[in-house]
Amino acid sequence: MTRNTDTGDDSGDAVTDGGVAEDGQRSGFSPVAALNERFGSDFVESSQFWLPPFLLVGLFVYGAIIWNLLISLTDFTGFGTPDYSDLDLQMYSRALADSGFVDAAINTFILLVGFTLVTLALGLGLAILIDRNIRFENTFRTIYLLPMSLSFVVTAQFWAWMFNFNNGVINIVITSLGLGRVDWIGNPDIVLWAVMFALMWQFAGYAMVVFLAGLRAIPNEHYEAAKVDGASTVRMYWRVIIPQLKGSTISASVVLMVFALKAFDFLYSLVGGYRPPNGADILATKMVREAYANLNWAYASAVAITLFVMTLGIVGPYLYYQYNRGNL
Amino acid sequence: MGTLELDGVTKVFPDGDGEIVAVDDVDIEMRDGEFLVVVGPSGCGKSTTLRMVAGLETISSGEIRLAGQRVNEVKPQHRDIAMVFQSYALYPHMTVEENMAFGLEEPTDLSDGEIETRVADAAETMGIAELLDRKPADLSGGQRQRVALGRAIVRDPEVFLMDEPLSNLDAKLRSELRTELQRLQDELDVTTMYVTHDQTEAMTMGDRIAILNAGELQQVATPLECYHEPANRFVAGFIGDPSMNFFPVERDGETLVGDMFDYPLSGSTLDDVGDVTDLTLGVRPEDISLAGDSAGDHTFSTVVEVVEPMGDENTVYLRFADAPEGETFIATVGGLQQVSAGDEITVEIPEETIHLFDGTSGEAVHNREIDE
Repeated sequence: MTRNTDTGDDSGDAVTDGGVAEDGQRSGFSPVAALNERFGSDFVESSQFWLPPFLLVGLFVYGAIIWNLLISLTDFTGFGTPDYSDLDLQMYSRALADSGFVDAAINTFILLVGFTLVTLALGLGLAILIDRNIRFENTFRTIYLLPMSLSFVVTAQFWAWMFNFNNGVINIVITSLGLGRVDWIGNPDIVLWAVMFALMWQFAGYAMVVFLAGLRAIPNEHYEAAKVDGASTVRMYWRVIIPQLKGSTISASVVLMVFALKAFDFLYSLVGGYRPPNGADILATKMVREAYANLNWAYASAVAITLFVMTLGIVGPYLYYQYNRGNL
Repeated sequence: MGTLELDGVTKVFPDGDGEIVAVDDVDIEMRDGEFLVVVGPSGCGKSTTLRMVAGLETISSGEIRLAGQRVNEVKPQHRDIAMVFQSYALYPHMTVEENMAFGLEEPTDLSDGEIETRVADAAETMGIAELLDRKPADLSGGQRQRVALGRAIVRDPEVFLMDEPLSNLDAKLRSELRTELQRLQDELDVTTMYVTHDQTEAMTMGDRIAILNAGELQQVATPLECYHEPANRFVAGFIGDPSMNFFPVERDGETLVGDMFDYPLSGSTLDDVGDVTDLTLGVRPEDISLAGDSAGDHTFSTVVEVVEPMGDENTVYLRFADAPEGETFIATVGGLQQVSAGDEITVEIPEETIHLFDGTSGEAVHNREIDE
């Protein structure tokens, strides 16, 4: 590595970084010393390790996001190259006027909130039951976690069978109980809830594992103290145990919300195409459809940016929370 | 009233195919307002006993009666008890005030104002009034301990249960809080069962001590009775620091014959011994005195191996003159007496201070005389 070159006229070698910085002040500006002083002693020397991945991520992630933002400001459609000379927010105003976009945004939001809350509640319930020293605890834990290890493609096919109007398991059970068949996928008022149920089935196990880890971190004495203090089991969980799961809840919900935004895979596999069942269109499917089916590149980019902002809105506060607790 | 009776209480834990008896047929009767310290080495079943009283462990057999009522089947939340845990078990998400109020809000329908008053009173008693808004994480160990005690006293229960509440504190704080706890218990006059492995706490705090070993109750008596009239060899060795010296001896007529010494007995002691021949002779370190040059039946010449000066007294490790090195017994002598390693000194073991235990069963057959 090249060391600071300004130290040539100095009597002793500048070894410590403090010495280098002083030299820099006396004999003119030294970028290396200034960088080191600003970002820590090995900033320049260590750059060969962190700079290449830094540049790659910068180009392919953040560069792509910025490029996408630029495209969303153009009117780029069909084949050819985008025209960057005339940038405006036309695509965003078009989105607001497009009832398909608004519906997709509302569906995305319902899925996001509904799926996350229901999955958290179910996961918490399972975790509490499993934590009560039951028999075959490991077996149950594995069974509940198993769906999570399956690909969206597999679960989508699986639930497509389950929800099948004519010979799906759910309808067979319902008709055998004397109730009428329900068109789970075809009915636009129901399909979103059916999708939410399937996703919940897949991810409740994940929430359970996160909560179980949180529960295991709470000392036994807290349960005992609460009991001796006169709390019933329900009140003990409600007032003493669950409030201590705040950290688990936050980290589980962030992951679940991101899964909800990524439900594209599930919907794509459910129908095997860009057009999800009526009533289950979300921003992700809308975005892909606009781009690759309709070649509305700029419009799809605008949808993508909207989705990106939503994600940021979820992850941002979490990162800020972690930063404040000194975890970042 | 807050009487607490344990009647043949037994706890059996299943262990693979077999089972482990953690507490074996323990009978204890505590009168109202009594401070009973349950003491014993780790694993002796003292915490299990306490947890059975709290209702946190089921009772395998026997009966626990609280204020005359059988409570075996009563859930912990319905027993009128308060417990202080070794780890304090303060709820980390609640402030001190909320921690203390919790035990009043849950089981009772006191008004908010009443709860607030009682919490404030208890905080005042414990000297933690200025900490009420803080979270447990912001408190020092001693403060947490006070909060844990405050949380117990605010409930005004029939019985306090304390599970080694002082063992997480440093020595100075521990002795401070020890005194304070005694004062508090005296003031509140609540029946208290206090579990510890620390025999100093047992000696200094309790009205009575219950000594457990391997799940079996060895003796329940006042601290001084346990010290001067131990029921058996275990109690004699457990209570007192440094521990009592034990020498295995055989009775030969009117003389006890040990490996290194002969010890003649007088008539009254012999009456206690009866026809037992296999015995253990016990003598407390502070009862062994320097004899100077005088010689008698009960003086022995010894060599000093190690001296541990404690300031007020010296702990001296002695061995009999012809014993191999390392086979020592302990004597404590005044701090101003000049004794150093290698010295040959004569010590006296006065007959009125000796204890004799049955060599096989360990039962005490003779205890020292006490000047009334």
